[in-house]
Amino acid sequence: MSKLKKSRGIEELKSRYGFMFVLPWIIGLVMFFLYPLIQSIVYSFSDVAVSPGGVDIKFVGLKHYIEILKVDQNYTTELTTSLTSIVYSLPIILILSLVLAMMLNQKFRGRIFFRALYFLPVIIATGQVMKLVFETTDDSLTEMGVSGGMASGMITVEDLTGMLNMSTEVAKFITTTINDIFNLIWSCGIQIVLYLSGLQSIPATLYEASRVEGATKWEEFWFITFPMLSRITLLVGVFTMVELFINERTPLVERVYGSMLTGQYDKPSAMIWLYFIIVSAIMGVIIFLFNRFVMKRYEA
Amino acid sequence: MNNPFKNIKEADKLKAIKYANVGGSVLYSLFRYALLLSIGFIIIYPLLYMIVTSITSPLAFLNSTRVWIPTDFLIKDNYAKALQALDYWDSLKNTFFYPIASALLEVCSCAIIGYGFARFNFKGKKILSGILFLTILIPEMMLVMPRMANYGNLDFLGIFGGIEKLVEWVASLFGSDITATFDLTPNIVNTGWTMWLPSFFGIGLRSGVLIYIYIQFFTGLPRELEEAAWVDGAGPLKTFLKIAVPSSSVVFITVLVFSIVWHWNDSLLTSIYFTETEPLAPALVGAKEYLGAAWGLYGGKGAPQQAAVMMAICLLFITPVLIFYMFIQRGFVESIDRVGITG
Repeated sequence: MSKLKKSRGIEELKSRYGFMFVLPWIIGLVMFFLYPLIQSIVYSFSDVAVSPGGVDIKFVGLKHYIEILKVDQNYTTELTTSLTSIVYSLPIILILSLVLAMMLNQKFRGRIFFRALYFLPVIIATGQVMKLVFETTDDSLTEMGVSGGMASGMITVEDLTGMLNMSTEVAKFITTTINDIFNLIWSCGIQIVLYLSGLQSIPATLYEASRVEGATKWEEFWFITFPMLSRITLLVGVFTMVELFINERTPLVERVYGSMLTGQYDKPSAMIWLYFIIVSAIMGVIIFLFNRFVMKRYEA
Repeated sequence: MNNPFKNIKEADKLKAIKYANVGGSVLYSLFRYALLLSIGFIIIYPLLYMIVTSITSPLAFLNSTRVWIPTDFLIKDNYAKALQALDYWDSLKNTFFYPIASALLEVCSCAIIGYGFARFNFKGKKILSGILFLTILIPEMMLVMPRMANYGNLDFLGIFGGIEKLVEWVASLFGSDITATFDLTPNIVNTGWTMWLPSFFGIGLRSGVLIYIYIQFFTGLPRELEEAAWVDGAGPLKTFLKIAVPSSSVVFITVLVFSIVWHWNDSLLTSIYFTETEPLAPALVGAKEYLGAAWGLYGGKGAPQQAAVMMAICLLFITPVLIFYMFIQRGFVESIDRVGITG
C-alpha cells in the first residue's frame, strides 16, 4: 500500500516538474497569444483609434465586414485570387517536395552537394527578396529591350494548346504552373527538409522485407513510404497552408500589411479574419478528408 | 541432376538480369541527375541573376546581345548605392542585436518547453497541445496589431496596471504624487524587448513549429540515461541540462537554422516594432522608396539602373545568412537525417 502511494507521489512530483517546464510558455501564451488574439477579434468589430495614451475602442458590430464585402471593390477579387492560389499551389508543392525529398534521400554521388543546393530556399525563404527579384525581372523590362528577363523564355498558353491540342482549361492550368515554377520550387524548401526527416525515420527493415517479398518500387512507395509519411504529410500540409496564407506576394496580404504599417488596426483586422476563417475552413475540410481516407485506411 | 548446362543457363540468366538491372539503374540515375540539375538550376538562377545584374552598368542593359556576362561593369557605384540605401552596417548591427538575439533566445526557451511536453505528464497537457497547434496555425500577422497596441503599456491581463493605480492611490493618501516616476507598465515600443520578451516566453516568431520539432525529437530520445540520472538524484533541470541537451546537438542545429533564417527574413514584425533602429529586413522593404521615383517610373517595375542597385541590395541582404549557411551547412544537412520529425 505504501509503495503504491509512493509511486503516485513520484508521478505527481514529475507532473509538477513538467508543469514547471511549460509554465513560462503558459504565461507567454496568455500575454502574447490568447489575449492579443481576442483583442484582434474585438478590433475587427470595432472602430479603433490609436493615440499616444493607448487605444480607443468603440464597438460597431459588423460594420467593417459589411464594408469590405459590399463597399470595397477589391477585397472579394483579392480574396478569391489568394484562395485559388492556395488551393492550386498546395498539392503541387506537396507532390514536388515529396518527389524531391525521395530523390535526395537516395544514395548517389553528389548527394551532399544537391542537398545543400536544395536547402537554399530555406535560407533565402523570404517573400521580400524574391518579390524584388520578380519585380526587376518582370517582362516590362524585356519589353523595354532589356534582355535577360526571367519570364522572357516562358511558354504561353497559345503555344501549348496549339502544340498538343489540349482543352484550354488544362492548358491554362499547365501554363500557370510552368510560369509559376520558380515560385513553387522556391516554396518547397522547408517542406523538403521535413519530408527528408520523415523519410529517414521509416525503418529500413520494412523495405528489406518488401524486397524479399518481391515488391516493385511502385508498390514499395504506395504500401510503405506513403503510409509511413501520412502523418508528416499532414504537418507539411498545414505548414504550407500557413506559409501560403501569409505569402507577402498576394495582393490581399500586401494591402493588410500596408494599412497596418500606417497604424490602422480595425479594418485590416476584419479583412484578415475573414480571410483566415475561410482558409481554416478549407484546411479543416482537407484535414478531415485526409484523416478519413488516408490515415484511417492505414491505421486500421 | 548434375547437368552442367543447366548451371550455365542459370548463371547466364542471373547475369542477364543483373545487366538489365544495371542498364535500368544507369538510365534511372541519368534521369535523376537530369531532373535534380534542372530543378537545381531553377533554384540557383535567381542568385546568379542577382549577382550578374548587380554588377552590370545601366548602359549594358540596353545591349540586347548581352545574356549573362555584362558588357559594362559598374560594381563600385552599384554597391555604394546599395550600402547607402540599406544603411548597411547600422542595420546589420541592429539585426544581430534584435532579431538574431531573439532567435537565440527562442531556440533555448523552446527547448525547455518542448522537453516539458515530451517527457512529463501533467494536468491540461492535452488542452495545451491543442493550443500549441493553434499557435502554429495562426500567423503572427493576426496578432501583431493588438500586440503593438499593448506594447505601449506592457501589462499582464491588467494586473500590473491595477497595482500601479493602487500604489499611486495609497501614495496620494500620504500626500505625495508619484504618477510620473512610478511605472509598472513600461512602454517597450521601439526597444528590443518587443522581440526578446515573446521569444523568452517561447511564443516568438513561429515558436510553435520549433516547439513541435523539439517535442518530436525528445520523444524519440531514449529515456534510459535520464532515468538513471533521476535515480542518482539529479533534479529535472539538471537532468535536462546535463543529459538531454548534450545528446541533442542534432535538433539544436535544425532549430537554430530555422529560427535564425526566419528571424533574418522577417520584415513584417521588425518593420512594425522598430521604426527608429531598423534591422536589415525592414530596410530592404524601405529600399524601394529610397530608390524613389525612378523605381516607380515604368509602372512600378523599375528602370535598368535601379534594377542593378536593387539586386545589389538583395545580395547584400542575403550574404550574411549565406555565409552562416556555408558554415553550418554540413551539420544541418546531416542533422536532418537524424532529427526524427515524423509528423
